Amino acid sequence: MVWGTIIAAYLFLAGLSAGAFLTSSYAARKYPDAKIVRIVGRLISPILMGIGLLLLIVDAEAGLKDPLRFIYLFTNFSSVMTIGTYFISFFMMAAAYIALMELLKKDINKMLEYVGIVLAVATAIYTGFLIGVIGAVPLWNTAILPILFVVSAFSTGIAGTMLVSAFVDKKVIHHVISIKKFHLTLLISEVFLIFTMFLITSSTNESAAQSVSMLLSGEYSGLFWLGLVVVGLIVPIAIEALELWNAKKLHQTPAGLEVAASGSHGIAATMITESAVLAGGFILRYLLLAAAVPVIFI
Amino acid sequence: MARYGMVIDTRKCVGCYACRVSCQMQNELPVEESYIKFYEKETGVFPNVKNEIIPVQCQHCEDAPCVSVCPTKATYTTKEGIVLVDADKCIGCKYCMVACHYGARTQDHNTGVVEKCRFCAELVAEGKQPACVSTCISNARIFGDLDDPNSEVSKAIVKMNAQPLRPDLGKAKIYYVR
Repeated sequence: MVWGTIIAAYLFLAGLSAGAFLTSSYAARKYPDAKIVRIVGRLISPILMGIGLLLLIVDAEAGLKDPLRFIYLFTNFSSVMTIGTYFISFFMMAAAYIALMELLKKDINKMLEYVGIVLAVATAIYTGFLIGVIGAVPLWNTAILPILFVVSAFSTGIAGTMLVSAFVDKKVIHHVISIKKFHLTLLISEVFLIFTMFLITSSTNESAAQSVSMLLSGEYSGLFWLGLVVVGLIVPIAIEALELWNAKKLHQTPAGLEVAASGSHGIAATMITESAVLAGGFILRYLLLAAAVPVIFI
Repeated sequence: MARYGMVIDTRKCVGCYACRVSCQMQNELPVEESYIKFYEKETGVFPNVKNEIIPVQCQHCEDAPCVSVCPTKATYTTKEGIVLVDADKCIGCKYCMVACHYGARTQDHNTGVVEKCRFCAELVAEGKQPACVSTCISNARIFGDLDDPNSEVSKAIVKMNAQPLRPDLGKAKIYYVR
């Protein structure tokens, strides 16, 4: 693995940060009362991105020894990494500014937030383009990958925001039903995207087929089936679907909703779901890096 | 302006690793690090089999993916078509290592800089041959100007119908006779 666990963690954190930003912006519009979700999303977004960038700096050994070299990162416009550096820098500035305004309890410039939303999507999709343009690794070199990364980024972003929000106030999760619905849709889309990506790429090329078989039945099959499919996708899909099913029933009697919201019921399920989604998001990126079989050139 | 390239005749290569050792000496590399890797390939069905030893190093691609992906412009192509790394600009992000179709790059863990075969640019500038070429015991390697039809390397490519390892992966400047 040329790019290992550190880069997987960076890709995961960048997506998570972008997703948390999007979640908070959505919550701010859809649920003006759900302040906690909004504030949590806005605060964790720049923090997580910052951790991700620190990991990148640690992984770039030559730059770590001579940090001024990182300025050159802005110079080659034919490199996806350079373009991503711009996206991330501006996203980081917007996210940090909005988080600061939130802390200072000041109004946030609407235009700036829209710019932030665009940059968040750009950041999430960039992590997919970064490895997607590598022709030397057929598993990555597919148009589905950036879409999968955006869906996964948004999904982990919702999970991270909801998890921290639930710690702050466990009632909050019952008020943001549409976020839960959105989350369920994203998770189901992820299953479909992974299936499509593996099916199509494995039939195009020998190296890609090798990568896919490493994941489905080879070296990484345990982590793939148990870690990604069961923990990262099936468990959260099942719990989320059950919760929504219950919520639907409760909606008919507002009193019932109050009971559910005030009780401890539901909080454990949320903790499990969101942690599982986060674990799955990291495992997805780790597996894609680990199973990167290069083109056979001999 | 010359455009440098090389022919490697795997029919002549005996796998003695002399090219690799001379390359390591020329580039002052530690024992465990090298710019030339050796691959073995067996073709045919018994008893009609051929075993081939294929030395692989940076192919100095015309439209090199390492050059386009490098975010800092540390990797660049000289006017002579040699792909080089500016060690003062490299941050060690390893994007070039991921992008290289031939796995020809290695990271020096003392400096963190990613390096690779440089066609011994400093020797070539003096009019000498790269170390791997001059040290090869079986003359399996020929180096020279690809743009000059009368150069030894151009003639060898035509005469022996030398081909890049994977022409479909882009134009390389190392041609193999297999």
